[in-house]
Amino acid sequence: MKKKKIIGAIMATALAIGSLAACSNTDKASTSGDDGNGKKITFWTPFSGADGPRMKNIVENYNKSQSEYEVNMQIVPQSDYYKTVDVAFSGQKNAPDLLIMHTDQLTNYVEKNLVKDVSETVASAGIKPEGYSETAWGAGTVDGKQYAIPLDIHPLLLYYNKDLFKAAGLDPEKAPVNREEFLAFAKKLTDKSKGQYGYVVPTLWPNQFIYPTIFYQNGGEFLKDGKPDYNSPAGVEALTFLTDLIHKQKVSPANVQQDGEVNLFLQGKNAMQFNGPWMMEQWDKAGINYGVAEVPQLGTKQQAVYANGHNFVIPATVKNKEKLAAINDFLKFTADNTLEWAKSGQAPASKAIYEQNEEFKSMVQQPKVAASFEYAKFAPRIANWGQVSDPLWAEVNLALLGKKDPKQALDDANKKADQILNK
Amino acid sequence: MQRTSWKSKATSSLFVLPYLLLFTVFLIAPIVYGVWISMHEWDLLNPVKEFVGLKNYLNIFDSDSYLHNLFFEGLKNTFLFVIFSVPLLVAVGLGLALLLNALPKKLTGIFRTAYFIPYSVSVSIVAIIWLWIFDTNSGLINQYLQKVGFSAIPWLTDTPWAWVSIIIATLWWTIGFNMVIFTNALNEVSEELYEAGSLDGANRWQTFIHITLPTIKPTMLFVTLTSTIASFNIYGQPYLMTRGGPGTSTQVLLMNIVEEGFNQRQLGNAAAMSIMMALIMIIISLVQFRLTREKKEAMK
Repeated sequence: MKKKKIIGAIMATALAIGSLAACSNTDKASTSGDDGNGKKITFWTPFSGADGPRMKNIVENYNKSQSEYEVNMQIVPQSDYYKTVDVAFSGQKNAPDLLIMHTDQLTNYVEKNLVKDVSETVASAGIKPEGYSETAWGAGTVDGKQYAIPLDIHPLLLYYNKDLFKAAGLDPEKAPVNREEFLAFAKKLTDKSKGQYGYVVPTLWPNQFIYPTIFYQNGGEFLKDGKPDYNSPAGVEALTFLTDLIHKQKVSPANVQQDGEVNLFLQGKNAMQFNGPWMMEQWDKAGINYGVAEVPQLGTKQQAVYANGHNFVIPATVKNKEKLAAINDFLKFTADNTLEWAKSGQAPASKAIYEQNEEFKSMVQQPKVAASFEYAKFAPRIANWGQVSDPLWAEVNLALLGKKDPKQALDDANKKADQILNK
Repeated sequence: MQRTSWKSKATSSLFVLPYLLLFTVFLIAPIVYGVWISMHEWDLLNPVKEFVGLKNYLNIFDSDSYLHNLFFEGLKNTFLFVIFSVPLLVAVGLGLALLLNALPKKLTGIFRTAYFIPYSVSVSIVAIIWLWIFDTNSGLINQYLQKVGFSAIPWLTDTPWAWVSIIIATLWWTIGFNMVIFTNALNEVSEELYEAGSLDGANRWQTFIHITLPTIKPTMLFVTLTSTIASFNIYGQPYLMTRGGPGTSTQVLLMNIVEEGFNQRQLGNAAAMSIMMALIMIIISLVQFRLTREKKEAMK
């Protein structure tokens, strides 16, 4: 009896050790270092939403189109994406051969020499800067070197409810294009007795896109000589404009919490809202009769829109020539074959699609996204923009909730950002 | 005789071995590794990890460092949550258990399941449900409030309402666990004591204070301790419901640690903050433990 117990205990121990060993074995199996098969490339993406199947189709089409190379696409959920990428980069193992990187993340990895300068290799493969939107290509250029091949640019867009436009006596095919029109429309579309608002001002996300858009339109720059310049007149004007929409013009309710403006838009009680092209499929599913347009010029100086972008980058550790040839072949293929990508609402940065493809031009939202390329602006180019901008979003939140005067809020944000930059 | 005892000791050690192994691999080793990381300037993307000794800890206490604000503002907010949530988690859990016990046996099962179900839901679902209920302009509660003539309450965009909302959501989500623990403890209370009490003419309140509470005291301590630890680890509810707002007033410590560790990739700083947080939690648990034990001894 006792012996049996001992044997049981030993077996349990063995089992535990065995399962641990098994873990490490599988880890090894999935290692795809530089020395693996050069004709097979691993491609990481954060597309865990509706855009995942689109990219998967592109990859499958590529694999079918030729028999020499094989691309293996892996999806890491957006929320864990950069953590996973960082761990891969830091261990220099299990790293992908090709990965998607957002424009606002690129500087950080370039500064640490973690992504490859592809200037020469892509040229030899026939990938040319002229083939892409200048804005998108330029986002991947740092000090004259090219680190990224653009996939798309996703700027802020204006979405509006056509039914509410009609009911207010407005032309549902005509979106506002400047501040005066926007204000006039918003007032016409506000009917408090029905709980209906012209433009519901969000106080959290996606202000990371909305506030910079108006700020850039006012001619503002977040960093001046390497120091934060949030509280410039351009900034104060932009934030005052937004807070006035709530408290002075009263075209928005106060105290809008996370996703509050989306909920009201879905309920037909918010006539206009700014959001990214990724929202298209959600509106379609909800069956709203909506229109989409480029953002109006709400600022005082110029037309501009804040945008981010998806880019292809290659880790600096990938040196195998055959592998690089495979990657370039795939990238060349995507330049001409990303119409599939447009179906998720995005506009590919390749001119072969957004300038020449007839099917693309006949789409509703995507050509409007592409029209914004010319004046789209990205986040400032510093490695830790995420951290330096955090105080700004918190203070914009306080100002929009009426807890702080816009000037005071931006002064405070500036002070905190300064402290982070000087750490 | 001696030999068998040695043998049995060896046997029982063997039984502990699998657990000990897992405990070492998944708990002791990570903690030691965490302490090791906390003594380095550990940027995830920088291959050079410089040993800095206690510098990261000193930075936390240096009021000029941004780490100081990150840690202590987060800690203050976490404390606020703990102070209000723990008494409620214990009291409401016990209250529900008492209610359940008073129900006819046939109904107990249904209600116990009903109260326990939210516990099995993930935090993201909890946050979405309560976001809809608390929505200032289109949420369930405010719709009804306005129908009966009250003005809308900014549930998630103003203090103290943001905390009230987070605590309500937390109670709804986790109360089932405490309730089940208390129900079991209440069943353990011997019927004879109650009979004796009723013979002496004790009313319900007196029975509760003098018989029920002293008997379930160990459970009480257990629930208080686990609730405190769980409340310290608050993260998902404010992260998803208020995003730390208004401003940074519901930005709890764990949010700041995750931000510093995984968004800024400063694992050294984040590890130092976590170790500090763990120490604070250990001290508080010890104090709670002491307080209850001293009372017990005083009673004797």
